[in-house]
Amino acid sequence: MKQHHVWTWPIAGYLFLGGLGAGMSIVCAVADLFFGKGELLGLAPLGALLCLCLGSGLLIFELGRPLQFWRVFSTQRAVLTFGAWMVILLVVFDALYFSFFSGWFPWSAAAGARAVVAVIALLLGLGVLLYTGIELSSMKARVLWNTPALPVLFALSGILTGVAGDYLVCGLWPYGGPAADAEALAGILRPLMAGLAVATVVSLLLYVLMMYTSSNPTGRTAATRWLRGSYALPFWLGAVAAGLVLPLLLLILGGMAAALGALLFIVGGVFLRFLTVYSDDRRELAGERERLLKLPHGDEPFLKSNWG
Amino acid sequence: MTRFAMVMDTRRCVGCDSCTIACKIQNDLPLQIFFNPVVTDGPHGIYPQLHMNHIPLMCMHCAESPCVHVCPTGASKQDDDGIIWVDPVSCIGCGACIAACPYDMRHKDKGSGVCMKCDFCKDRVRKRQEPHCVWTCHQRARIFGDLDDPNSEVSRLVASLRTERLLADLGTDPQVYYIVGTGGQG
Repeated sequence: MKQHHVWTWPIAGYLFLGGLGAGMSIVCAVADLFFGKGELLGLAPLGALLCLCLGSGLLIFELGRPLQFWRVFSTQRAVLTFGAWMVILLVVFDALYFSFFSGWFPWSAAAGARAVVAVIALLLGLGVLLYTGIELSSMKARVLWNTPALPVLFALSGILTGVAGDYLVCGLWPYGGPAADAEALAGILRPLMAGLAVATVVSLLLYVLMMYTSSNPTGRTAATRWLRGSYALPFWLGAVAAGLVLPLLLLILGGMAAALGALLFIVGGVFLRFLTVYSDDRRELAGERERLLKLPHGDEPFLKSNWG
Repeated sequence: MTRFAMVMDTRRCVGCDSCTIACKIQNDLPLQIFFNPVVTDGPHGIYPQLHMNHIPLMCMHCAESPCVHVCPTGASKQDDDGIIWVDPVSCIGCGACIAACPYDMRHKDKGSGVCMKCDFCKDRVRKRQEPHCVWTCHQRARIFGDLDDPNSEVSRLVASLRTERLLADLGTDPQVYYIVGTGGQG
């Protein structure tokens, strides 16, 4: 009998969408500030904003008291509070950032103001990107989470999905310039994605092997589940093959295949967050497993009907 | 200063679960939630040379409490006497403290949505009464008191006997001490 998971799919979705939104914002801001290619990725801040809003919605859905979510913004020093502020500020600055690209507002042509907003969005994006991994890695007894390797892995995956997301919106509305420029930027994003994918797959394999060879029996059990246990299919097929290796090959083909590859990188990010959130194995105390086995099961419908 | 702590004398515990039930009734806990389950380590060995220990679990009221540090709303509180408790008004049920607790001693109540945990029966102990689990233990396997008072029973036991703390290597400084040994030695 397994203990209940602390967090489930909404939090996995939140962590994924947070990483994706942050990654898209960062890549767009970097392209805008350092390479003058921001116009081509004008849709990215809006896409990032939608990801962050949807992710926040999932987080609120997971709360025991969703209507009290505003309390998270009270003056505390918890990682989650820091993250919530980063996310909400990034939503605001992504909205502002998009307003420059949309051309709908009187300030849309103000290049200086856009640069300031881009710098702030970049910093906030980095904050959100790092926070999603740090939030999990701060949980001391959760063996697969409590390692500095996790924030690195999440950051790499977040940036990879961010580049992939930006690749998919590159040259789309509100950009109205020549298509050749969009193709030129896509030509830069493809090798960037490939490099990040290689780094992510190496980090992911090292992360799992580190746990597999760990002296901690709980870590070994969790890693074994990924490598050849009940999570082997989502790990090998979802996160590694379909989410990293296959899209890497598709990138070489270019065109629509590369776009499909970018989409698959994003799907790989989903698998990684789900695998991680559902691997919340805690260091066991002597006798705990036996106690769980002793708890009655099979009586749930009866108990529910009588005591709710 | 007062620093509340508990000593579990596993030599005396017979695993009767009286403390578990007393706590459940006193705190009117939902069916699936236990603040202080008793687990059994063993039996180990080969018949007739066997031994086992009953280990009462509960919130360790850690001095370096990870559950308090991760709470984003300040609902998880630690008072000066070391007691950790949850303010149900401020709790949003985010589950961060449940993930952070190394002992799995925090629980989300499906009904109210908030986190629930042992608070050392703080309303009783501040009136110089014992927590219910201690009061009900007929084997005197649970000893509660002020660790900062050198004359208290918990202080004397911790100072004079070899005690262990669960997952102490995590650096949370748990305030529940276990006297480990086989039955009948106490």
